[in-house]
Amino acid sequence: MKSFALAGALAAGLMAATALSTSAQAQTLTIGVRAGPESIDPHWSTLGSHAEALRHIFDTLVGVDEDLQLVPALATSWTPVDDTTWEFKIREGVKFHDGTELTAHDVKFSIERIPVVTGPMSMTIYTKRVAEAIVVDDYTLHVRTNGPAPTLPNDFIRLFVVQDDIGMEPRNEEFNSGEAAIGTGPYRLVSWEPKGDLVLERFEDYWGEEPHWETVIRKEIPNDPARVAALKSGQVDMINYVPATDYAAMQRDSSVETFIGDSVYILDIYFSFADQLPMKVRVDGQEIDENPFQDARVREAFDLAINRDALVRVVLEGLGKPANQLMPPHFFGGSMDLPEREYDLERAKELLAEAGYPNGFEVDFRCTNNRLPGDAAVCEALGQMWARAGLTVNAEAQNGTVFFPAVSRKEYSMWMSGWGTLTGEASYTYGSLVHTNDPEVGLGAFNRADYSNPELDALIQEAAAELDDDRRAELFEEVTEISMNERILIPTVQLQTVWAAKPDMLEFTPRIDQETLAHHISPAQ
Amino acid sequence: MIGFLIQRLIQAIAVVFVMSLIVFVGVYAIGNPIDVLIDPAADQALREALIRQYGFDQPLPVQYVTFLGNMLTGDFGESFVYRLPVLDLILSRLPATLELALSAMLIATLVGIPLGIWAGYKPDSLSAKLIMGFSVLGFSVPTFWVGLLLIMVFAVELGWLPSGGRGPTQEVMGVDVSILTGEGLSHILLPAFNLALFKLGLLIRLARAGMVEVMSSDFVRFARAQGLPERQVVSLHVLKNIAIPIVTVFGLEFGSTLAFAVVTETIFNWPGMGKLIIDSIMLLDRPVMVAYLILVVILFVTINLVVDLTYGQLDPRIRTKGAA
Repeated sequence: MKSFALAGALAAGLMAATALSTSAQAQTLTIGVRAGPESIDPHWSTLGSHAEALRHIFDTLVGVDEDLQLVPALATSWTPVDDTTWEFKIREGVKFHDGTELTAHDVKFSIERIPVVTGPMSMTIYTKRVAEAIVVDDYTLHVRTNGPAPTLPNDFIRLFVVQDDIGMEPRNEEFNSGEAAIGTGPYRLVSWEPKGDLVLERFEDYWGEEPHWETVIRKEIPNDPARVAALKSGQVDMINYVPATDYAAMQRDSSVETFIGDSVYILDIYFSFADQLPMKVRVDGQEIDENPFQDARVREAFDLAINRDALVRVVLEGLGKPANQLMPPHFFGGSMDLPEREYDLERAKELLAEAGYPNGFEVDFRCTNNRLPGDAAVCEALGQMWARAGLTVNAEAQNGTVFFPAVSRKEYSMWMSGWGTLTGEASYTYGSLVHTNDPEVGLGAFNRADYSNPELDALIQEAAAELDDDRRAELFEEVTEISMNERILIPTVQLQTVWAAKPDMLEFTPRIDQETLAHHISPAQ
Repeated sequence: MIGFLIQRLIQAIAVVFVMSLIVFVGVYAIGNPIDVLIDPAADQALREALIRQYGFDQPLPVQYVTFLGNMLTGDFGESFVYRLPVLDLILSRLPATLELALSAMLIATLVGIPLGIWAGYKPDSLSAKLIMGFSVLGFSVPTFWVGLLLIMVFAVELGWLPSGGRGPTQEVMGVDVSILTGEGLSHILLPAFNLALFKLGLLIRLARAGMVEVMSSDFVRFARAQGLPERQVVSLHVLKNIAIPIVTVFGLEFGSTLAFAVVTETIFNWPGMGKLIIDSIMLLDRPVMVAYLILVVILFVTINLVVDLTYGQLDPRIRTKGAA
């Protein structure tokens, strides 16, 4: 009898143990990610995957929601005190992972540390407007800017706050080992190695909403088929950046659940406006001296010959949206009034004839093949679409390692490249792409097309210094409309991103910045 | 003997020198690493400042001489991407690659050579034909495709083995090893087999060809005529004579497996050196590329040296010539 009871107790114990282990399992989230951080020092790099991973360990001064709109984070509010001063109120009662409390001193230190330690993907782009950070009291910080800087809070969505006593020196080793990796974020670092697994555990004293998962493992699996296989074999619970071809198959597969979200990335076509094209166009096999892209009718013809619906439906397997401007229209400074782009082959041919190219011309067209999902496929499809308008476009997709340096040397006459409005507002995009390349004012750095329009430059500069949000939005809407009607660049499609997970395991709202944040993922109810 | 070693050393230094020059010129021709790495929101001043900071504004010869000078003091520089000393970065990945390459070579040797010998010993049997058919598949079917197939069958459909990654590691004499646990073994099985496949085919064919040739030679006939048991004929006289080409190929293959296990490492997400070098090439992380290739040169020179020394052991004639 006694032994019987013992057996019963044992069995009960075993059952309890099993129950425990399953609930412990449910507490762990394993994510297969395409790319991870390059270091645990949050000030090292501006790379998207770097920021995404470190958002678990560190908090930023200003936060963003799923749609890249500003929300309070370590700062509870921000207001301009005068033309060149912003006041940030720092959240009280926020604890670092070692128990010390966050103050304005830590924020000031973080701003000042960035220029000292940042690497080739320099974070100084987010602090370059700062002239001085002044601690008013423990929970108030004044930031003086060089000139009016209305987008400073947008810049600070990437301002990760570290403790002010960790020292200024660059010390990636100490961050990687965890010694210096003390943030205020929802998770604390357990271990990481370059290109390997990032292991995180929940920080119990987190100031925000308690994260659902006790342990989070982010496995870096850059190869697409390998990442999909890891999910299907159950090695990971969730993956990001599902390739379009696998997405099509997954829709018929009940063992996988997919999540689709818009991305900030739009594939844009660039024309060189230089008087002498670096790669001359050919009419009937003869190189000509003129640059046809200086003629607005030619640019319009290229635009009209693009069948954006077909691009989305056929080339991208439905994972995209036709784009009519360089960023999602509802972003700050986007235009809701711009019409959808039309597809009109006849009109395109007429315009080409009017411009003096009744038989079209031949041009080389370059793009990337490894930067964004579908970039090479869209590029080649575009070549074929333009062929139907009588143009001979030699589309060539290249590795980004070759493409980007060549674009910066201005070696191409026409190219396609993705652009993501990562700050969620227009000055980032239009200031960089359509303003004249002018080192004096620090604008137009990525205007490799040599486009220059003084009227537009004046508008952008006026808008960039305007502190009144409504007025600034209006000015940028005007910039957007002029640029798009001029067809300085031609937007084609806005890409969408796919995540996949084990079915009914979790709830997840895709973010437009494509970040996969464990503290925003909850177990399925 | 010492003269021979010194000669090898000089050769190695010359190769390292030429190779680093080629990599330098190559990267310089592709373009500026800053243009690949830079953030889209950077302005012109920042770009200039970064180019100056990393010394890319210097003419190529100056960059190269600076690099050579640092290298002579043992400083290979820091990775642009990770800001870690490149040597540490590469050496931290070496155990994983070494483990994978050794396992693959072990599979290839232990399976390939006996099969090849058998196929050469009974060249007309059905089993020999099957073995030869398999060997053709082994080196004609692309590695990445077989790798994906292995994953689909054993990881996704059957669920017997993990689809990728490396198992938990233990430290043995300062080196992280994963093959001491069952979980570690289950992780390494598929990638090691995948990597072994090509070598397996090669070794089968080499062993068979040598076998067929040697079996019809005079000394084998004499040995048989002498009444030696067949087992002794094969293991004592034949094997020793087919060993030299096998050792040569083994050495070369081992070197290339270590240096270029890239495809297998990528598909199985094995945290080895191959993945590191591919990523570094994509980002034009020049310090890592140069240091890695120098390591590869040293590796090949060392392996060739070991192979040469082994010849001497296997065939006394080569030893005499070397001494003369």
